[in-house]
Amino acid sequence: MTPKVCLVTREFGAFNRAWTQILRNLGIDYTLCIATSSTTGANIQTPQGVFAAGSADLRGYFRQFDAVILCDNTGNLALGSLINYSVFWLSWNAPEDPAFLFFNPHFSTAITESAYNSNFPSDFPVVRPNPSDIAGTLYAADGGSASSFTPLAAVSTGGRGACVLFLAENIRAHVMTICNTHTDNIPYYWRLDTAKHSTLSSTTYTHRVARNGRAGEILAVPAPPTSSEDTETYPNDCVIAYRYRNCFWLPNAISRRQDVATAGNPFLFWLLYGLQLAGVRPRYELPVQVETDHPLGAVNSGAPFNHGIETEINILVPSWDYMRDFARRKNTAIVNGVTVGTKYRNINARYHWHLLYSTSRSQAERDAAMRVHQILVAGHREGTTPCGVHDHTIGSSNGYWAAAVNTGFVRHSGMRYGVPNNVPIARGRCCVAPHVLPAGVAGADAQTVQVGDTELVEWDIPTSGTGNTFDLPMGSIHAARIIIESEIEEMLALGFGDGYCAGHRYTNTAANNSGGECYWQALKEFGFRGVRSASACNTNLNTKRATPNRLWHGLHLVQEMTLDIYSATSVNFSWGLYHPSAPSGGDAVRYLNLDHSNDISSGWTTNPALAWRAYRRVLCMAAGRWLGATAVTLGGAYFHPIECLVPAAPSRVLERFDGWSILNAANQPHYNHAVELLENMDAVVRLLPEYLYWGTITDVMDHRERVMG
Amino acid sequence: MSLIGWLKGNRLVDVTAQDPLPVQQQGAITTRTADTLLVATTTVTADANRDLLGSTATELPTLDGCMQYRKLVWFYFRAGGDSTTYRVLARATDHNGAPLGAGWQELVADTLPGGANSWGRIEIPATTDGYYDQYRIEVQRTAGSSYALTSKIVGVR
Repeated sequence: MTPKVCLVTREFGAFNRAWTQILRNLGIDYTLCIATSSTTGANIQTPQGVFAAGSADLRGYFRQFDAVILCDNTGNLALGSLINYSVFWLSWNAPEDPAFLFFNPHFSTAITESAYNSNFPSDFPVVRPNPSDIAGTLYAADGGSASSFTPLAAVSTGGRGACVLFLAENIRAHVMTICNTHTDNIPYYWRLDTAKHSTLSSTTYTHRVARNGRAGEILAVPAPPTSSEDTETYPNDCVIAYRYRNCFWLPNAISRRQDVATAGNPFLFWLLYGLQLAGVRPRYELPVQVETDHPLGAVNSGAPFNHGIETEINILVPSWDYMRDFARRKNTAIVNGVTVGTKYRNINARYHWHLLYSTSRSQAERDAAMRVHQILVAGHREGTTPCGVHDHTIGSSNGYWAAAVNTGFVRHSGMRYGVPNNVPIARGRCCVAPHVLPAGVAGADAQTVQVGDTELVEWDIPTSGTGNTFDLPMGSIHAARIIIESEIEEMLALGFGDGYCAGHRYTNTAANNSGGECYWQALKEFGFRGVRSASACNTNLNTKRATPNRLWHGLHLVQEMTLDIYSATSVNFSWGLYHPSAPSGGDAVRYLNLDHSNDISSGWTTNPALAWRAYRRVLCMAAGRWLGATAVTLGGAYFHPIECLVPAAPSRVLERFDGWSILNAANQPHYNHAVELLENMDAVVRLLPEYLYWGTITDVMDHRERVMG
Repeated sequence: MSLIGWLKGNRLVDVTAQDPLPVQQQGAITTRTADTLLVATTTVTADANRDLLGSTATELPTLDGCMQYRKLVWFYFRAGGDSTTYRVLARATDHNGAPLGAGWQELVADTLPGGANSWGRIEIPATTDGYYDQYRIEVQRTAGSSYALTSKIVGVR
C-alpha cells in the first residue's frame, strides 16, 4: 500500500521545506493542507475541499492517510492559539482514523478559547504547560539553563543535550530533544499525570498504532545516569514522548521557519520516529554511512596533550581496528580520503606516505603507521574501509583548482601523464568546435578535448616537457588529468587496488573542493562515479560552484557535512569535549556553541556533572548533523580521525566515556569520538529499523538517482 | 524474411520501416523547457557584495554552468520592505569552466522592487538573451533591518 501522510500548517511563510524533502527522500506521498486560522474555528483547506476543523467531512478525509502531521510549533507558551483547531482530532480515536503526530505541540493553559478547553480530552495524561507556573507543570531539561536564542532555532550548532531511554525498544540514544520551550529559552520535558496514565495504561484500546493494546503508553523518558558523577536526574513522572490512543505527543521535529531544505535540522530524529510509530511504511529506507578524511595522519600536537607521533598513531590503531570491525558487523563501509601527494610533492608530517616511508620518521613511528595502513588496506579489499584519493598537496593545500596556478608542481613517474612524457598542461591557445573548424587551420599538436557537452579541437597547447617539476595552471582538464593520475599512482604504490574506494568509485575531496567541470570530467574518465563537494567547490580561488542539482553528467557531487569536534580554521586538532584553556573553536563545546549560559565552562573543574552535560550535547549535535545529511541532503557526513581522537586516553583508547573516571593526557575526561559517534548512531539506526539502515556511499548515490529524477 | 514479426490484422508481417512494431505510449511525453536552478533563503544584510548564497567572495558565482539557458527568471519573496539594492553580474567561461578573465559584466544594478511580504519577478537579462556560463546575484540592504529573502531561480532554455 502506498504510504501517504497529510501535513497541516497555518502558513507557508513559516513552513520549513525539510518536512517535504524528507518525505520525498523516503518515498512517502504527502498532501499539504492549510489551516485558515489558529483557532478552533479554522477551516482546513484540502485538495478535496475546505472542511471545518471539527467536521465529520474532515474526519472522513483524514481517513485516507496513514498519519496526519501538525507542522506548526512555537517557543512561546503564552500564545493563546496556534493549533487549537487540532483539539477535535484528539478524540478521533476509531481504528479507521489515522495516527496524529504532534511535535512540540502547543497545548498550554494560556489557551483560553472555550471550544478548545471544552474539547480537550479530560483523560489526557500529559500535564498542560502553564506559562505562569512552569515549575509546576514542566521539567526544565538539560541543566535548565537558557540558550542565548530560542533552542528550537539550533541549526548546525547551539544544540541541547539529552539522553533518551526508549522503553519498548529498551534502547538509550542521544538525540536532540525539546518537548516544549518558552520565551525564557529553556528546554523542557513534560510532566505526566500518573493517575490518568495509570487508567489509560490499563484501558484496552484497539488501533494499529497501539503496540501494547492499551490506550496510553509512555514511549520515552530521560535516561537515568550511568555514573554517580552525573547528577542530571528527573522524577518518575517526567516523560519525553507519549502515545494517547492514536495521538502521539512527541518532541520538536522540524523548526518552524521559512527555509529551504537543508541539513540543518538537528531535531529530525523525532519525525522519523513518529512516522515509524504511526505505521507509515516508507517506500525507501535511507542508508546511513560515514566518511573520514586522513585516516592515517598525525597532528604533531603540542599542548595540551603533548603526544609524540607514535602515541598519536597508537591511538589510531585500536580505533581503526574498532571501526573496521564495526563496519564488518553492521555491513557498512567507512569511506576514507587518504592524504596523497606526499610521495612526489609536499613533505608533510601529517600525511600518509610520509608517515610510512620517510626516513625523518623513527622506525617505531613508521611501524605504528604501517599497522594503521595494513588495517586500511585490508579493509579496502574486504569493503569495510574503502579508501580514495584526497590531495592537500596541491592548490595551496586546498585541493582541486583551489589556486590559479600550482607553482612548482611535481608530477609522478610513468603511466600516461607522468615523467618522462611530454603532456599538455594547460588549455590550447586556440580552441574551435570541430564542426566549424576549417580544414588545414589546426596546428600539428591538435587534439580533441571534451568537457561535458562541449567538444573542441585545441592546438598551440603548453606542455610539460620531460621533467617532473613545473608551474601548473590548475584550471584545465589537462591539469586535472595529471593531478588525478598522480594521486591514483600513489594509491596503487601504497597497496590499494585503486584510487576511488574500490567498487564505490567515489572519494571525498580535500577541503571539499571538487574543482569544476574539468576536474569532474577527468574524474569521470578515471572511473569515478561521485565525489564529495562543497557548493563553493574551489575555495579559496572561489571561481566555481557545484551544479545546482549536484549531478553533473552522471557524476555525483555529494554535499558535505562535518562531524568534527574542532574548528579547522582555528586549530589543528580538538582539545576534547571541553578544555578550560582551549582557544576559540578548539574543543567540541566551543566549536559547536554548546556552552549555554556558561553552564559548562563555569564550574567545569569543580562540578563533574558538567562533563556529562558536554558529552550529551556533543553527541546530540553530531547525531542531528549526521541525520540531516542522511535524510535531507543525501550527503556525506565525515570527521577527521586523528584530529578528533587525540583527546582519547592513550592507554585506554576504546573505553567509553566515563566522565572524570578516565582521564586523557591533558588530565581531562577521555573521549573517543569515533567510538561514541558510531555507537550512538547505531542506537538511532536500531530505533528506526523501518527508516534507516547501515549502508554505503554506493547506496547513497543509488538513492540519489532514485529520488532526484 | 525477418526473424521478428507481428500480427497486423490477421496477417503475420515482418518488421520493416513500413511496418514497425506497434507500441503504446505510456504516459505523456513531456518536453522540459525550464529547470529550477536555485532555491535559497538569504538574510539580507548591509554587507556589500553578499550574494544569494551568502558569500561575499566577489569572484564566486552564485550559479555556474548556465550556458544552456537563454534566460534566468528570478522569483523572490521578501519578508522585509527595507531598502535594498541588487546587482546581477555575469560572465563566460572556457570549456574547462575557467572564467575568461577576472571580474564580471554587470547586467543590472538597481533597487529591489517590492515591500514587506511581497513577491517579485526579475528576468535575467531583462531584454536580450543570456547564455552566460556564470551569474552572480548580490543583494544589499541600504537601510532598516535585516530580513529574509527567499528566492527561486528558473533557467529557461
